[in-house]
Amino acid sequence: MVRGYLSAVASLLLAFVCGLLAFAGAAHAQSATPGGMPPPPGMSLAESAAVRFPQPVRVGDLLGRQVLRPVESQDVLGRVRRVVRDQNGQIMVVVNFGGFLGFGTRPIAVPADAMVLLGQDMEIVAFTPNQLQQFPTFSPSGTTDVADDTIIKVGLAKPSH
Amino acid sequence: MRSPFRPDFPPDPAILDDHKPLIRSLERRGLIRGGLSLGALVMLTGCDVRRPEAIESALLAISRLNDGVQALLFDPKKLAPTYPDSMILRPPKFNAYYDVMDVKPVNGTAWRLEVSGLVADKRAWTVSDLQALPQTSMVIKHICVEGWSYIGGWTGVALRLFLERVGADLRAKYVAFKTADNYPSSIDMASALHPQTLLALEYGGETLADPFGFPMRLRTAVKLGYKNPKWVTAIEVTNDYPGGYWESLGFPWFAGI
Repeated sequence: MVRGYLSAVASLLLAFVCGLLAFAGAAHAQSATPGGMPPPPGMSLAESAAVRFPQPVRVGDLLGRQVLRPVESQDVLGRVRRVVRDQNGQIMVVVNFGGFLGFGTRPIAVPADAMVLLGQDMEIVAFTPNQLQQFPTFSPSGTTDVADDTIIKVGLAKPSH
Repeated sequence: MRSPFRPDFPPDPAILDDHKPLIRSLERRGLIRGGLSLGALVMLTGCDVRRPEAIESALLAISRLNDGVQALLFDPKKLAPTYPDSMILRPPKFNAYYDVMDVKPVNGTAWRLEVSGLVADKRAWTVSDLQALPQTSMVIKHICVEGWSYIGGWTGVALRLFLERVGADLRAKYVAFKTADNYPSSIDMASALHPQTLLALEYGGETLADPFGFPMRLRTAVKLGYKNPKWVTAIEVTNDYPGGYWESLGFPWFAGI
């Protein structure tokens, strides 16, 4: 009796596993239209950010966020260190970039319009890692920090996986 | 090194050719029909094989069985965890079956919510009609089937209250949704009546923004993310299985959490 019950439970569990596995194949379907596409050709950074439905976000909430590469593997490019306004008044996100396991990073300033919000993370959609390698190391001279309570607008993207 | 188990005189490969039809029938029908055990299925789905239709439909049958078991286990009174307002992610995470650039904002003034099926009152609703109903707020986790989640704060009309107002047959099986982005969806009546299932109008205390389903979307704490259609334009109460966008592509329909 108990045995019969146990084997019924066991086969139910197996059925769940099978269902999950069946479903794993279908999950790929969600990537039909990739997220985090680079700006369409001929569009300025500001224009491309504008078509990504920019949403208000508190600057202090961006600090420390992971910055991802908009590809299926979602490689971590770095972390948000600070947000500044450059000499031209453009809002730049300073990212601790590169390195290995968080060591040996250097700060680079990426225009906020080149980035998107992805839930708790951010992505750099307008530059490839190779381009980012060429970015100069950030120097704070001539820039002003944007206060934590400032609300800025940043575009969105769907997840890239 | 030569395997010690290898026979000195291997069988003539032509044997395979001679018995080709038999071998083929063994591989296909024999394995699929005779050997459709749960264990074999695990192996088949674990590998990247081209699934014959028989396997596909067997797996779908198991998925439907899972749906049935989940529906049996569902406790309509059990509440999902809630969180403090301070944990609300602002803005929320965007997701759809297309990227954000393809979002088509809905005109809230012209918007109407159609109501059909097993309901007494089929009058269409405006945004202010919905705003005039008692509002409920909840801070819950949005859990996506892809593995990510975030905590969001939603305000709107409890779907139970709405269904009662329109005189819906609460013994019907399904509540189905149509949306402006052509993302049909449906949930079971028990989940529709759950206290943490809302027709959401606000996020974080502010009007829902365009990418998140303005003017109204479904938010339920008892289903995975893909069961929360945005930009809802029609609600139908029905006993005929309505399916849904991802469900028609093989995702489980019940998708409870």
